[in-house]
Amino acid sequence: MKQQREHLYEGMYVISATLSDDARNKALDKIQAGISQRQGEIVKIHDQGRRRLAYEIDGHREGHYYIVYFKLRTSGIEELWQEYHLNEDLIRFITLRTDTVMEKIEFKSLEEPQ
Amino acid sequence: MFNKRPRPTNEGSSFGGDLRGRRRKQCPFTAAGIKEIDYKDVNTLLQFVTDRGKILPRRITGVSAHHQKLLVSAIKRARHMALLPFVAEA
Repeated sequence: MKQQREHLYEGMYVISATLSDDARNKALDKIQAGISQRQGEIVKIHDQGRRRLAYEIDGHREGHYYIVYFKLRTSGIEELWQEYHLNEDLIRFITLRTDTVMEKIEFKSLEEPQ
Repeated sequence: MFNKRPRPTNEGSSFGGDLRGRRRKQCPFTAAGIKEIDYKDVNTLLQFVTDRGKILPRRITGVSAHHQKLLVSAIKRARHMALLPFVAEA
């Protein structure tokens, strides 16, 4: 069998803010389980907290944002993608290849012109 | 003969009649030494969209072509994650 390469990924997940804390943690566990079941490794999780959505998605006005860094083989991503679409607690997600794990989600602001 | 005019530079000199003596804008990302633009950095992205949520053209913001490309994809990612609006009510 062809050797599959493993890459570092960054996933951002928006979980419904209407869920209770318990249900939300369960939803997050489900995301983590999906990665570890496919022999992936979770590197870091950032809880970004509740945030107002810029537009309404399926009746949701608020969402709970999580950023998860993980390592996974390439074919696992496609499987995850299909799984995420069936997950009703997950209102939005994005998975991107990345080279570095951000220890803190912080950005320096652009210097003001002049 | 006609090509003797020195090439205009970014420093001060006026660019023919086009800029009418205005200084050429410098790309804010190049100036700050930023190599990558992150879709999570909402506050920075907000500086490059209108109140309506449209992406500002680089002729107005002075962003370099390279950074505009990165900026556009970052804004589109942020829109997908509902960090930025597709259309905002003004």
